[in-house]
Amino acid sequence: MHAEKQKHDFEPKIVAFVCTWCTYAGADLAGTSRMQYPSNVRVLKFPCTGRIDPVFILRAFQRGADGVLVSGCHPGDCHYMAGNLHARRRFAAFRGLLDFVGVDLNRLQFSWVSAAEGGKWVDVVTELTERIRAMGPMEEFKALETEECWSGALATPELQEAYKAI
Amino acid sequence: MNNTAQKLETATPLDTSCYAAVTDAIRKEASRILTDGTVTAVVGYKAGRRAGTTMPAIVTDPAKATELIFSPACVNNLALYLTKAKKDVVKKGRVAIVAKGCDMRALAGLMGESQLKREEIFIIGVVCAGVKGSGAVNGEPLTTGNLARKCRECTVHTPEGADLTAGTLPSLPELTPVEAEEMARLDAMTPAERWAFWKEQFSRCVRCMACRQVCPFCYCEQCLCDKNRPQAVESTPRPAGNMAWHIVRAMHLAGRCAGCAECERVCPMDIPLNLLNRKMALEMKELYGFEAGLTPVEKGPLAEYKDNDDQSFIK
Ligand code: SF4
Ligand code: SF4
Ligand code: SF4
Repeated sequence: MHAEKQKHDFEPKIVAFVCTWCTYAGADLAGTSRMQYPSNVRVLKFPCTGRIDPVFILRAFQRGADGVLVSGCHPGDCHYMAGNLHARRRFAAFRGLLDFVGVDLNRLQFSWVSAAEGGKWVDVVTELTERIRAMGPMEEFKALETEECWSGALATPELQEAYKAI
Repeated sequence: MNNTAQKLETATPLDTSCYAAVTDAIRKEASRILTDGTVTAVVGYKAGRRAGTTMPAIVTDPAKATELIFSPACVNNLALYLTKAKKDVVKKGRVAIVAKGCDMRALAGLMGESQLKREEIFIIGVVCAGVKGSGAVNGEPLTTGNLARKCRECTVHTPEGADLTAGTLPSLPELTPVEAEEMARLDAMTPAERWAFWKEQFSRCVRCMACRQVCPFCYCEQCLCDKNRPQAVESTPRPAGNMAWHIVRAMHLAGRCAGCAECERVCPMDIPLNLLNRKMALEMKELYGFEAGLTPVEKGPLAEYKDNDDQSFIK
């Protein structure tokens, strides 16, 4: 029997970028073992965490993600030897940059989840979902996406003056 | 405005006596190495069309070596001309380049990235008391008021490792580190305040890409930000694309940037790009003990890894 699904005011959208060898298999294991985890997470499969470009994370936020998870093999388990170790450095730097431009790092989670860790996948996803739910929607990037530099309207005295001067 | 030369009320003139001696030394050396065939071209500076300005020049004729100059208006980082993106210059054979300390850091970086070979170039290093910041009036003397922000905190006034180092450094005053103070101010803000700060800054960006074109490390033949199938970063100057572009730019230069601040100098919209560069440099130093220097390193901090790298942020 499934537990009664709780209704929430806000269902966050979470995008998970995962590597195919470990975390994807781990999530699959969680599924085949019939473990329950929030359906808020949309899983995108990559060959390796080393293939996950920081620009994908930006894209996810721009297109409406409220939280992002990046997950791959534990150090030493990488199918390509060291892709995850390169990624570890890259994402450490990327976090620093995002923090500097003012993104709340609580919206971005990194984890190592192996093919045998279905339970860990459930924990990571559940915790992230609940954290983001408490934080509310991610507005910053969405606001940028909907904002135009100039709407075409002569809405300010400066613009009107500039227009008259033409 | 942010990166326009600080108009400090107590702008005192700086000792610029070294520039004339440096100019002489550059001319003499350029003439010598062009005549004896050590190099086929010298990349340096010559006087610009307007008084008090300079522009990059490529001299191939020893008789024209007297056109070369060095002055506080020699702002350009000429390392740009030696990247593979500018194949025509390097194709000519061994090339000499006039390089300030900060430019030499860029040369070292390019060598580390196998863009350049040390034996292919002849470095005429110059002793540099500083160059003018953007917004300085042409022809006005160099003062503590119109000095470029990067020069206030320069650690490479006298570069090491050049084939020849021209000039001797005059004594320079201690200057307030304006940029470091700005960094500290940003660090003290809340994330929301920082977001508001950068959103305002980036909203001015017109996506002219001058910051990319001038950077010695932006030598990719196909920039990610120009691709449209699929499009990774929106290419029009709208807020979303601007934010993404600046994050991507800072990220792609992390661990590579030489801190020459050329990107910030050329920005027509006065966006303080070097703050982002400095932030990444700081991260690289704190996390991986890496600092851009005058000696080439084969692998930059984001091109290698260690087994015990920090992973406290990973669950
Ligand atoms: S940073 Fe240093 S070497 Fe570069 S222009 Fe300024 S004073 Fe000269
Ligand atoms: S990013 Fe800017 S400061 Fe860094 S190397 Fe490029 S032009 Fe110079
Ligand atoms: S130079 Fe300035 S305006 Fe031009 S693309 Fe770079 S940041 Fe934007």
